[in-house]
Amino acid sequence: MKEKAYKKEILVTIVFIILYMLMGHTASLFVLFPGLQGGSMWGFPVHYIIPVLTGWFGMLIVAILAALVCNKLDDEIEAANKADETAAGKGGE
Amino acid sequence: MQVPQAFVITELWTAIIIIGAMFAMFYFMGWLGMKHTASTDDLYAAGFKIGAVVNGLAMASTWASLATFLGVSALILKLQVPFVFLWLQWALSIPLITLLYGTSMRRMRAYTPCTFIKARYGNQCTVIVALWMILVMVMYALGQLIGLGQTFEILFGVKYELALFISGVVVIGYMVAGGMMGASYNAAFQMVIMMVTMVVPMGWVMKVMGSSGWWFPPLAYGDMVPNMLKMIPTFFDTKYDFRWYFALIPAFTLGPVALPHLAARVFTSSNLKSARWAVVWFILFLGLLFSGTYVVGFAGNYFQATTGIIIKKPDQITLILQLVYSPQWVAAFVLAGAIAAGVSTLNGNLMAIAALVGSDILGILAPQMEAKKKMRVGFAVLALGGVVALLLAFNPPTFLVTSILWAFGLLASTATPGILLGVWWKQANKYALIVSSTICGLIFIVISPHVIKSIVVGKGVTAALGMSGGLVTIPLSFALFIVLSIIFNKMGWAPSQEEKAILDKIHGWNDYREERYNGNVWPWVVAVVCLAISWWGLQPW
Repeated sequence: MKEKAYKKEILVTIVFIILYMLMGHTASLFVLFPGLQGGSMWGFPVHYIIPVLTGWFGMLIVAILAALVCNKLDDEIEAANKADETAAGKGGE
Repeated sequence: MQVPQAFVITELWTAIIIIGAMFAMFYFMGWLGMKHTASTDDLYAAGFKIGAVVNGLAMASTWASLATFLGVSALILKLQVPFVFLWLQWALSIPLITLLYGTSMRRMRAYTPCTFIKARYGNQCTVIVALWMILVMVMYALGQLIGLGQTFEILFGVKYELALFISGVVVIGYMVAGGMMGASYNAAFQMVIMMVTMVVPMGWVMKVMGSSGWWFPPLAYGDMVPNMLKMIPTFFDTKYDFRWYFALIPAFTLGPVALPHLAARVFTSSNLKSARWAVVWFILFLGLLFSGTYVVGFAGNYFQATTGIIIKKPDQITLILQLVYSPQWVAAFVLAGAIAAGVSTLNGNLMAIAALVGSDILGILAPQMEAKKKMRVGFAVLALGGVVALLLAFNPPTFLVTSILWAFGLLASTATPGILLGVWWKQANKYALIVSSTICGLIFIVISPHVIKSIVVGKGVTAALGMSGGLVTIPLSFALFIVLSIIFNKMGWAPSQEEKAILDKIHGWNDYREERYNGNVWPWVVAVVCLAISWWGLQPW
């Protein structure tokens, strides 16, 4: 159980780093792939308004997901710790 | 159209009443904070009791400095949209701190990242990292104090020195009284002031400028874009190549990750779950403020392009636009927002300096000091830090008033690798940290245009902001730290069992397993990638 929770912790951290970086640095994608530029949204060029939106609401969604997933992971680690303690207690009896 | 070239308030008493009322509130909350400060936990970490919404506001407030009101508009005028992209990625700071080490260090009830450094690497490393952090915090605090002095100078029309003295004494007074408890609730209140004063008056300015999107300034100014493009066709151009945008990551994403006054905000959370929800509120509030800032930059460019009037003091555009389009009391209200932004960051800087000196360094020099005395010393260090910063602000040494943006690269070269690798890799070695931090910090200083002008990596504003230098030294610092750790560990200087056990503990495990956070494959991959990036940074800019 602990092994699984440990692997999950590493995976969750890497996934959220990538998601956060994508949201905060969306403008870089428009520079790396200039073909994405062009067109407009709400009157703005897309390569301007999309990074502004991902840097605010995109990041907000990632933060909500991070809070839900990481808080659940904390509970799992806590449960694994308790299961270990219980098993150790039973072993000692 | 009457356009002032600098911000001057003619209805002085209106401004004094608005700003005076605001400071009365700051002092009241500082006094409440003092009443609830009975231990070092209260003084440095607000008793680890701050809830998610208040902390989200306080996080955003601590991050948003005077520059949000007075500097960004000038830089958007100069760099246009690329500066918006540079600015918006700063919202990553607190989320990454929380994800990568904030909650882990909160488990050990740290006051600053150096609390962890001390437990993980020992006293020598603590002193080195703490000194780098204090240097950056002093640079940060000086920027705010000088800006506040200039704001009071503009407001009262008195000499700069007198304005600096008055603002310094008034501001530092309530900060020292309140400790972190007062700082937290004051910062939350200051963020509300900032959001209202940034966004609401801008709605009025946009209405007068003819935008139908005045009802939501942060995102609804699209109808002004065609006019803007007619006058400044290049305004939305990305202008720089991919390397410039990539260089934002080491200098401006990884630098703020090690800022102790931001980390301290995460540590004040009432629990780990609350810290993560505070991040959600932080992004919501900071996004609103930042987006308001982009509108001001846009409106400043738009104003100049459509009226043909050049504003000689572009850093005052936020205020000057209000003088042009709004009544004086609205301009005074926006000025109050700028002051709130300055004092909230300054408060965070001084609290971080106090915790680094009063807890981390003093904890090494006098580990047996009794709790009550520790708290009294903490208050004294907080006051002393304020006084020293104020005295320095009267005649600051040139290297201390170098852009704080440049200092982010310095922090990323010296402190970020030690914190991140220390939390996630058991093989991270204290001697490797000392060597990599010192060498890369010094190289970053040398190759910047601020010290030896003949040895510079990059050019122009890219070099001045530390982006080109950071692309060399920050990945180099990570690579050097990893490679030296592996070498030193093989030479028999590996971290002790006790030092390694800290990792399992702060990640929430109640037992120790050697295999956790202990592989060498990924660190090698990171080191090789970092060396390649560093080499990329050395190519001609």
